[in-house]
Amino acid sequence: MRRTVLSALALAGTAVLMGTGPAFADGPSTPSPVPASAAPTSQPEKSAEPTPAPATDEPTRAAEPTPAPATDEPTRAPAEGQVSRVPSGAPDTGVAASPGSGSGGTALGAGAAAVLALGGGTVFVVHRRRATGA
Amino acid sequence: MNSFSRRAFTAGALASLLTACAGRGSDAPRPGTTASPVPARRARPLARSVPVRLLIPSIGVDTPVLRLGLAADGTVQVPPVTAHDRAGWYRHSPTPGESGPSVLLGHVTVGPYGDGVFRHLARLHRGERITARLENGTAAQFAVTAVRTVPKTDFPADDVYGNVDRPELRLITCGGARTGDGYADNVIVFAALSGTKSPTPGER
Repeated sequence: MRRTVLSALALAGTAVLMGTGPAFADGPSTPSPVPASAAPTSQPEKSAEPTPAPATDEPTRAAEPTPAPATDEPTRAPAEGQVSRVPSGAPDTGVAASPGSGSGGTALGAGAAAVLALGGGTVFVVHRRRATGA
Repeated sequence: MNSFSRRAFTAGALASLLTACAGRGSDAPRPGTTASPVPARRARPLARSVPVRLLIPSIGVDTPVLRLGLAADGTVQVPPVTAHDRAGWYRHSPTPGESGPSVLLGHVTVGPYGDGVFRHLARLHRGERITARLENGTAAQFAVTAVRTVPKTDFPADDVYGNVDRPELRLITCGGARTGDGYADNVIVFAALSGTKSPTPGER
């Protein structure tokens, strides 16, 4: 009897250990999003230098004593299929109309019409209320 | 079966349940490893095919797409200032749906002709849909992930043209305060591929 109980308990313990095995194996991989979440901080928006220091781009290798600058961006895909020639400066994608004409003038006219319509509506309502004696 | 055996059996059953739960937990989807916001599901990259039309239903854009290159001064070419303004695809960038940042540009205003094709680009919100129809008939569908207005003097070239490991889209126009006959800022829409649509007969 006791042997049955002990063997059953041993089996249960083995099953629990086997169950926790995958969880432990999975555990170390969960911190991997951490460097990913830190990735935006490694890409400063205001970096004027064209060649950012590779060490800052390697959050996963930060713990290593010898930061090798050989691999520039290990988390990114190879350059194939990416932008092959990066333009300089900002795109000039807007030619403003001369002041007082075009859409500006149209907007002004629309605004004036709206004001007139609102005024007319108010006058109408006031007259109506007076007529009904309210 | 006496009480000892019953307890042992219960312990075994509990252990099996724990094992099953642990096993299922390991199959759970893990967080994305990319820094930028990820859409609900990650679509597969498409084969290279140049864009011929761009549609953004939420702001009423339905435009043919030109091909743009580099100007003599090294800046990116922009579509011509005409009455019927169109968007343009920067041909040194991936085609929409290919892995990498595909760049399309359009005017916000076209001088005496009034509004440009990207007049209301800044009104886009996260999650809204953008469709690029390609030359091979496929439609690449994107979801907006971010809309940024940045000073032209501080244009984020790395964020716009930098390598990414999935198919993304960049729509660029001008915005902000007027400076002479131009604008002080750029409006940049970032989007990620959310799906594809196979060609349908008669549709282009």
